[in-house]
Amino acid sequence: VTTGIGYLYPASIAEAVALLAAWDGRARIIAGGTDLMPAMQLGRCAPECLVDVTRIPGLDLVEVGDRFVLVGAAVTFARLRSDPFLRARVPALVEAAASVGAAPLQSVATWAGNIAQAMPAADGAVVAVALGAEACVASAAGARWAAVESLYCGPKTSALDPTRQMISHLRFPLPGPEWGCAWQRAGRRRALILPTLNCASTVQLSADGSRILSATLALGPVAQLPFRVRAAEAALLGQEPAEVSFDRAALIAQTECRPRSSPFRASREYRQALIPVMVHDCLAQATRRAQEEFSAQ
Amino acid sequence: VIEFILNGQPVSIETDPARPLLRVLRDDLDLTGTKQGCDMEGECGACTILLDGQAVRSCLLPIGKVAGRSVITIEGLGKREHPHPVQRAFLTAGAVQCGYCTPGMLLAAKALLDQDPHPTRAGIITALDGNLCRCTGYVKIIEAVELAASWAQKQGRAEATAPGAEARTAEAREVGISVSSSSALSYSALGPATVGRANIVGGDLDRQGGWERVSGEARYAEDIKLPGLHYAAVVRSPHFHARLLALDTRRALSLPGVVMVLTAEHVPGENSLAGYSRDEHLLAAIGETVRMIGDPLALVIGLSTEAAAAGARAVEPTFELLPHDTDIGRALEPEALQIHAGGNLLAADAVCSGDVEAALGQSDVMVEGHYRTSFQAHMALEREAALGYTDEAGRITVVCGNHEPHWDRAHLAVILGLPEERVRVITPPTGGSFGGKQDLWPLAATALATYHLGRPVRLAYTRREVMEATPKRHPYDCRVTIGATAGGHLTGLRFEARINTGAYDSAGRYIPNYAVTASVGPYRWLGVDAKASAIYSNGPKAGQFRGFGAPQPVFAMECLLDELAQRLNLDPLELRLRNALAEGEVTGLGYRAVETLGYREVLEAIRPDYRAMLARAAEFNASEQVGRIRRGVGLAGMWYRFGKYGRPLSQAMAELGLDGTITIYSSSADYGQGIETVFSQLAAENLGLPRSALRLVNADTARTLDGDVTGASRSTYWVGGAVADASRRLRATILATTAEMLDRPPEQLVLLPEAVTLVDDPRACVSLAAVAAELERAGQSRCLTGEQDLRAQLPGRYPASYLPMFVTGVQVAEVELDLATGEVQVLEIAAAHDVGRAINPRDAEGQLEGGILMGLGAVLMEEFLPGLTTGFGNYYIPTARSMPRMRIHLVEVPSHFGPLGAKGLGEAVTVPTAPALVNAISRAAGVRIRSLPATAERILAALAPAARGAAGANAAGPREDE
Repeated sequence: VTTGIGYLYPASIAEAVALLAAWDGRARIIAGGTDLMPAMQLGRCAPECLVDVTRIPGLDLVEVGDRFVLVGAAVTFARLRSDPFLRARVPALVEAAASVGAAPLQSVATWAGNIAQAMPAADGAVVAVALGAEACVASAAGARWAAVESLYCGPKTSALDPTRQMISHLRFPLPGPEWGCAWQRAGRRRALILPTLNCASTVQLSADGSRILSATLALGPVAQLPFRVRAAEAALLGQEPAEVSFDRAALIAQTECRPRSSPFRASREYRQALIPVMVHDCLAQATRRAQEEFSAQ
Repeated sequence: VIEFILNGQPVSIETDPARPLLRVLRDDLDLTGTKQGCDMEGECGACTILLDGQAVRSCLLPIGKVAGRSVITIEGLGKREHPHPVQRAFLTAGAVQCGYCTPGMLLAAKALLDQDPHPTRAGIITALDGNLCRCTGYVKIIEAVELAASWAQKQGRAEATAPGAEARTAEAREVGISVSSSSALSYSALGPATVGRANIVGGDLDRQGGWERVSGEARYAEDIKLPGLHYAAVVRSPHFHARLLALDTRRALSLPGVVMVLTAEHVPGENSLAGYSRDEHLLAAIGETVRMIGDPLALVIGLSTEAAAAGARAVEPTFELLPHDTDIGRALEPEALQIHAGGNLLAADAVCSGDVEAALGQSDVMVEGHYRTSFQAHMALEREAALGYTDEAGRITVVCGNHEPHWDRAHLAVILGLPEERVRVITPPTGGSFGGKQDLWPLAATALATYHLGRPVRLAYTRREVMEATPKRHPYDCRVTIGATAGGHLTGLRFEARINTGAYDSAGRYIPNYAVTASVGPYRWLGVDAKASAIYSNGPKAGQFRGFGAPQPVFAMECLLDELAQRLNLDPLELRLRNALAEGEVTGLGYRAVETLGYREVLEAIRPDYRAMLARAAEFNASEQVGRIRRGVGLAGMWYRFGKYGRPLSQAMAELGLDGTITIYSSSADYGQGIETVFSQLAAENLGLPRSALRLVNADTARTLDGDVTGASRSTYWVGGAVADASRRLRATILATTAEMLDRPPEQLVLLPEAVTLVDDPRACVSLAAVAAELERAGQSRCLTGEQDLRAQLPGRYPASYLPMFVTGVQVAEVELDLATGEVQVLEIAAAHDVGRAINPRDAEGQLEGGILMGLGAVLMEEFLPGLTTGFGNYYIPTARSMPRMRIHLVEVPSHFGPLGAKGLGEAVTVPTAPALVNAISRAAGVRIRSLPATAERILAALAPAARGAAGANAAGPREDE
């Protein structure tokens, strides 16, 4: 006798959200399931039906368009790591993907799921915020693009309702020339561990390489969500891509971030001490990559 | 109905689609090769399977996701007749120890090699990084993957040059290994092993039970299913310290599937852990005090794991909370919180030799240090698991990983109120222990359940229970003062250790002796005053852990010796050589060792590696690339008392069966360290037969003689000596009997696997069955007892049966320290250890590599926080990427009395790692690190007061000033 819950494979996004609506809050989206399964084991959630989005045609693709890079909800971290375009042009995303757990988790865990879990130091979320990524949030009412940053409404709480909504795609602006990105991560060991601190940044240089036209900087876990340090970004505008600029931004980040103590990972004080070092290294590397992009022209 | 392809065969399963594939494989399909090490949180990797060729965690995979896809488990990899190359490679390279991580590792390796037949080492490490192993240090696992890749390449070339040629070569017998060089193994095809003396020991390295462990066939305690099997779950205290006022079991008993609830009043004999832990109850009685989180209150038996667990949650205890303290800082003060009625001091010990004040008075330089360590968890991949049933002779039988089956039988008899003959303990394949499975509790609870239930029952801890309820390594607080003359000769040692023994004894009563014994080390002192006390707290009960009692004082002593060397402006290696005890000298304990020491030899053996590291580090630190990185090199030595607390007499048996087969009966638990392989080698060597000609029955109280405790690295020396002796006796008996039968002198006979022949006439042949029949007819025993008997050599003048035998070793470490973050990268660790004689050099190397990585974990990442740590997700053990380069030197200074000169090894290997690493870090930092773990955070905090920019100048050299 079959007991337990339903398990459904919708053939389209429309069907997926229609199923959610039909189950009226009792069904839930599953992608890789690497976070959902332990949560169900612990009784933290008890859906009556799982709607698996990983077999929807096309959702496993990374598509490079004219303005955006489009990533489907079923794209795993392993897929991100091996994508030739991303490896060449968006190494921060590849490195962040390689930081999630370890290879056997990366082969099933998805970028979209990582963001939907709403952990403030999720590697996929921190890099998404730095890349200025948006999520396409689909529900029975339709679909809309929303900044990843806007999908958080509290500590470990997503603004998304996985019983009624799903992220169908993520997208971020197509990198142009003189653009670079970087990823930094600290942890008590090098794999299979949540980060003590992680950090992603992008740097857009002027056409002659002499100025920083724009920069992004995101860190975790230093706030209730992946934290974009806008004051540090602003301070970099128009500055020379030089040590003194990185150091200033690093100190601003240290002031702006509010890390907490974790008994297992690190104290607030250690994280505070680490922030300027990591931010400096991250900005310096993003700039070097932008310059390589510049010299490669 | 979910349909998928499993190991090439279509299957359809009717089940809840949200159930993890792991549960379906193990519980529904009885495919128990897929293991569960964590609480199905994806933290350990033991459950790795292939899903459409990709390595994934089956604990995180709902069976619904598997529909229409292809799954390969370890059972689908290869067969004994046609092993998969990765299986062969794991056996050939010695990559299998306890075997619990092995199925997952093999599948992760297969997924990698299928995708990339020529992986780089970095690629291998990335692919295996999510699979935890606690035994091997990953070295031989990674070498095995490289070996399998090289075979595939060779095979590819062979097929290219000779199409159609069968590429089955002599690889299955690639067992050659260079004994003394390094972990860069030089495997060479030796061809088929020829049988003869002196090539089984040191030559035939095949792991006993190896195939079972690479194929998933080995049945660990949690894998065995018996008809009518019931399941036990434990009700535990959630409080550090409380009085149990009431225990209401009514609601639990009313739940479906709950069969019985056992409490203290159901214990028929003594409600205790008998001689194992002298102050610990099996189950807390009403009115009794519970002294730690995880303290057991009741045992619930159910028809399923889930029913038992639900029953355990439904038992309702009422507590009166008491104040608690997990630390011992104030525990001996008069007004301190009393944890046991007799006070907070469990035990104390001291050793005094010479006049320490006068000795220290002769010093030109004195240094003192305050060194501290923390709770550490064993983290064997297998959780505690036991199977209980009543055997065919009516004995209460417990199948469970352990260290001392006969002692456990005696303890269980006390608890059950039965004669020993009514109790039996069997040691199954065990997924690692490191001392953790010395805990009697799981065996005792299972025996109690079996006693009342009368049907088979299984108790398997969750990982969270493993963290809460099993013993941990004792934290030490050591204050040490040492001195030396300007010429670098040690004068006096004053040592005091306050040891946190947690809530209960669990053999902590012995630890003060181990502490003071380890503290004096293999050095010449003019005067010693060393004392240690084991003190109760509400922390987890601390107990045996690899190197029991020694790693902590050796950490303090060897770090302080490094400080002394720095003050003396003397090379740390030179300081140790100048003070190294020679054989026959009186030790700091006031008496002589009865075995060889080997300390000078290991120090000389490490010298080239040490010099090379110093040169590399100095060059790096002087280079322009140095930036905020500094390299440091550290050295630490040690001695380790092996064979402690056992009788100076061990026994084993060798039997010639009526069918002509030979069986060795020994008793020493094998939980992955490989003692059964050693016994098999020693027996074969001494019988003069290939290993395939004999069977081994080990560690079953109904069939084997008492081998005493498996601990303190005593088994090769003591039980191995008895196995060798029994084998020699059986050979002599067989030859003497055949000599009479053929009327020829024994020296003209040749013993073969099934027969005895004449050296000059192979046609004259007496089968071993005929020899057995002749023995039977003559009324002679076919089963001979062998002994390792040193009662004459050890005439009882040593304290409390602590045996005066030591092994020595030295390790050096090269690290890189980031001065801005405190992060440490360990570049290389080289080790030279005296093993006496390497019976199995490959396994000996494996012990060293695993012990070194365990030591590295203790320094950089491991810390058990009472009440907080719950599993692999917040207790971090090293992964493949944590592994430094290792260079291993097995130094052979033969023992006087051990089999073929062998000594003990497995525990000593982890002892010098921490001080060597911390000395390297301290040298790189320019400040001293004195507590473990030395996390990046603690290192950065130590660096902060010093001028960070100036720190570590000339860090690598041993001669700079502090």
